[in-house]
Amino acid sequence: MAADFKRFIEDSREMSRRSFLAIAGWVGFTVASAIALFQSVKFIQPNATYEDPPAFKPAGDLALPSSYAVGSTTVIIDKRVVINRDSNGFYAISLICTHLGCTPRYFPDVTSDLVLAGTQISKDPDTGQQATRGNPILPGFKCPCHGSRYFRDADNFFGPAPRPMDRVHIELAKDGKLFIDRSIIVDHQYRLKV
Amino acid sequence: MKVIRGAVDEMWSVMEQMVGSVFRHGLPLTDKIAARTALTNFVLHIHPVRVRRSWIRMSYTLCLGGLSFFLFIVLTVTGLYLMFYYVPSINHAYQDMRDLQFVVTFGGLIRNMHRWAAHAMVITVWLHMARVFLTGSYKKPREFNWGVGTVLLLITLLLSFTGYLLPWDQLSIWAVTVGTNMAKYAPIAGPYTRYLMLGGHAVGDATLLRFYVMHVVGLPLIGFLLMVVHFWRVRKDGFSGGL
Repeated sequence: MAADFKRFIEDSREMSRRSFLAIAGWVGFTVASAIALFQSVKFIQPNATYEDPPAFKPAGDLALPSSYAVGSTTVIIDKRVVINRDSNGFYAISLICTHLGCTPRYFPDVTSDLVLAGTQISKDPDTGQQATRGNPILPGFKCPCHGSRYFRDADNFFGPAPRPMDRVHIELAKDGKLFIDRSIIVDHQYRLKV
Repeated sequence: MKVIRGAVDEMWSVMEQMVGSVFRHGLPLTDKIAARTALTNFVLHIHPVRVRRSWIRMSYTLCLGGLSFFLFIVLTVTGLYLMFYYVPSINHAYQDMRDLQFVVTFGGLIRNMHRWAAHAMVITVWLHMARVFLTGSYKKPREFNWGVGTVLLLITLLLSFTGYLLPWDQLSIWAVTVGTNMAKYAPIAGPYTRYLMLGGHAVGDATLLRFYVMHVVGLPLIGFLLMVVHFWRVRKDGFSGGL
């Protein structure tokens, strides 16, 4: 192999017309193939997707902030978003499991079976709530795919989920209705005060 | 009378020529004729001219490669049947699958044949690979064919994965959500790979169409071409059994 290559280099010092054309041909073929490969990948990459846009306003009864009670959790399943209202304001959760992307479901009780089984459940880092034998029931989300569980405020406490679900941007539009942008991820302290 | 006889003779010789052009060597009464038939016939050339009994001992190969190929044929034929009723669009796919199951005559049979043969093929391909490994049949001079075989395994699994989305039920959608999210974890190219697989940011109409295209044309075609190479190399590298 090495000897062949050496001979090829030596030959190339006095290259014949025939071998020059052969090399030029192969180089041309290789470049054309590389361009074709690039085009193929670019072709199957959609430039427009026509998917549901990330920003939206909740429709109907859910449009106005006054329709959310303090302490309520509202799931907008079509948009995969949760709107929570606490005493200090609104925040929105992107309802996408941080493990492998399924949609967790809301349950009023996600802790009592674990408490009864003797599983130690960590404290919610944001609210400081903890499920104990004395107070075993906390609301939250369970993912149907691999059993990850989250508290009501999206902090994970059980199963394979590696981190809390994302909080997304929520604001009040000029017409007084709620406006949510799922493409903007905000931190855990973010609250919309109304 | 003579004219009629001449016409009959003429017709007979034409018939003879037609039949003879297909069956060139007559009945394989001797080994020599049998060998020549196998050598010159397109269908039979897949089979070696001479096979030792020890090469094809069932207890050695368990016929796993042959079973995989048989299941591939079953899947191709039943898949073709299913394509007559199935439309790869999110508004039709699930309903078409239900129609195949409950409305179309023998639709349930065809769909279940496709489904079970698909499960079985994944199993037989894995077992085939395990057998080749355990008997050491991947060693020189068969390393290249082992390589071809691993790509065929990958194609079998990709066919299984792409086919899983097509019924468009909850299991399909979330299984593909999970599978493509796994692809996203790959370094550097992960998120881009997922975007190309889905044709968007979530499993949707674009995903269903590209999985369908890969399932019914792309992957089977690549698989078929590699199978041709695979079988050819089995012939050329010789059988490993009974040495």
